[in-house]
Amino acid sequence: MVSGDAIAGRAVAARTDWQALARRGWRTKFTAQSALLAFLILISVPILLPYFWMVVIAFTARTGGVASDVLWTACAVILPGVLVYSIVHMSVASPRLRTVAGLVLLVIVGALLVALVGSKLHLDNFRFLTRANFVEELRSKATSGAQFPSVWTAFFNSLALALSQTVIILTVSSLAGYYISRFAFRGRNGFLQGLLVLHAFPAMTLIIPIFLMLHWIGLLDTIVGVMLVLAAIELPFYVFVMKGFFDGVPWDIEMSAMTDGATRRQAFRLVVLPQVRVGLIAVAVFAFIRAWEEYIFVRTFLIENKNWVMSLYLFWVSDDVMGVDYGIVAAVAVFYVLPSLLLYVFCQKYLTQMTIGGIKG
Amino acid sequence: MPDFARAQLRRQRINFGLFLGPALALLFLFFVAPIVIDLVLAFTDMGRTLQVSKLTLENFERMFTRDSRLLGALGVTFIFVLTTLTVFNVTFALLLALVTTAVPRQLGAFFRAVWLLPRMSPSVVYALLWLWVVDPNERGLLNQIVVHVFGLPPIDLRNNHPLLVIILANGFIGASLGMLIFTSAIRSIPEHLFHAARVDGAGSLAIVRHITLPAMRWPISYMTIHQTLSLLVSFEYILLITGGGPFYDTTVFSLYAYRRAFESGEYAYGAALSLVLVAIGVVAALAMWRLMDMQKLLQPPRIEVH
Repeated sequence: MVSGDAIAGRAVAARTDWQALARRGWRTKFTAQSALLAFLILISVPILLPYFWMVVIAFTARTGGVASDVLWTACAVILPGVLVYSIVHMSVASPRLRTVAGLVLLVIVGALLVALVGSKLHLDNFRFLTRANFVEELRSKATSGAQFPSVWTAFFNSLALALSQTVIILTVSSLAGYYISRFAFRGRNGFLQGLLVLHAFPAMTLIIPIFLMLHWIGLLDTIVGVMLVLAAIELPFYVFVMKGFFDGVPWDIEMSAMTDGATRRQAFRLVVLPQVRVGLIAVAVFAFIRAWEEYIFVRTFLIENKNWVMSLYLFWVSDDVMGVDYGIVAAVAVFYVLPSLLLYVFCQKYLTQMTIGGIKG
Repeated sequence: MPDFARAQLRRQRINFGLFLGPALALLFLFFVAPIVIDLVLAFTDMGRTLQVSKLTLENFERMFTRDSRLLGALGVTFIFVLTTLTVFNVTFALLLALVTTAVPRQLGAFFRAVWLLPRMSPSVVYALLWLWVVDPNERGLLNQIVVHVFGLPPIDLRNNHPLLVIILANGFIGASLGMLIFTSAIRSIPEHLFHAARVDGAGSLAIVRHITLPAMRWPISYMTIHQTLSLLVSFEYILLITGGGPFYDTTVFSLYAYRRAFESGEYAYGAALSLVLVAIGVVAALAMWRLMDMQKLLQPPRIEVH
């Protein structure tokens, strides 16, 4: 304390008010940061609001109408909450206080929401989970378009497609990635260049020949056909990603394994593969989300409704009942988007580890 | 040949087949073969019956002399690609990267995750959100604001300004990839450069102008070429949101090829159109490669900065 006073005293003697300078610096920084934050919140509204609107429709809409008052009431409660929290976050340094403030705010906002809109929430729109013929119930049988399968048919088709495609991509890309990362073989340069060309090649333009090819080999309108096509056109990207991960594993690890008597394949399976666990998870999550969301290829290659996947199911539901009942369409959309969002949220830290050509993405 | 050499050769071959075989098989069957089929198909007369009766140049003749819609599709493609690319995929992505790296780390990551949300959600869901936003009656999200906040009559963006809708819808997704790549480019700038600039009295804008932006030259060039190619051929969101309409107002070249093949059953003509689209893409990419002097990127750096 004494020495602190002494320093302050000397500063006063030099006619420089250090504390005022520090305050001014802090104020400038605070203003700039608040402005940036306000900008970020503002530009995030057009993204978050439609998602929120979808959730609101799914839990409140009834046949023939939507409850827009619920949306705006909820926004009027949540937005001030977010603003208060960001101010707290900016001005309070201690992480524990921040957490406590966040929890208190969360409880207040939650209680307000329950009090204001709680009575309007219902799960009626999720009846599509148990009743396959809800479309016919909404529209008379004559006007409803396609015969709808149960949502679970579409769900398990999607799951089968996404999982099997993920397994294929994981296996094939880790084998190939390891080989081009470690082995010298004739035509290695040519193979790498070819792979790069295929990676840059706009596969979407191949949809017509792929359609014909699947027709000729009898895989049109089968999940297996779509699975193979999706795996093939995404493969170059994943091979490069896996090569990047293998390149990061030091040679010495394999060398010592082989000195200890392991064969090349054993070294790969038992020693190197565990080292690239993060890469395998990233590739798996990415491939799963991609296959889960696929629309154009399944739309073109899958025809019969017993082969529908979730994207087609949602498309035809929205096509058929959009004008009549928003709620059920939104409920299907929420049900469909949930798995990929959960995966994305929980595996984000793995996804950011992916690199291709030195660029993280 | 001695025994051990033969055994080694055999092991090499087996390894090749084991590690690279599956990838080669998959790529040749479902990627290279379709390219070859497309090349042949473009010179045939395959129609709805899936029968080929002759080899012909008719498709290309039709394209260059008789197809009156093609010019419109080209124009739409040009406006769509250029606007989405310059406004969203590069400029806005850069802005997002700059701002999210300037705020505290966790907050920046949060907002980047928000902007990645559209990319991670299924395309049908994302398109549905847009349909609800631009819904022409008073239930549409945009119209709720337009009518109740500004007191204006409801607007119908999807029919009156369809091109704007598809540019916005694609731009919101396109911005996120650039944002990620620019963010990691900013992060890889050595920290001491920023400190040195601060000590020399540079303000925030001067730092962006003289330190950050020069370091972004290659990522920006790369993203421009990459996104031009991917915008040229992508039509998923357009098909889902406007269906290429009203009439042919938002039918970009790639969607035009798709519609010819799967709406009118003119498979050969669709294949020929796709072939021309690939050619356009290659020419555009090569021209930009030269223009931006990307060759320099591949030369080894003279000074290693770490």
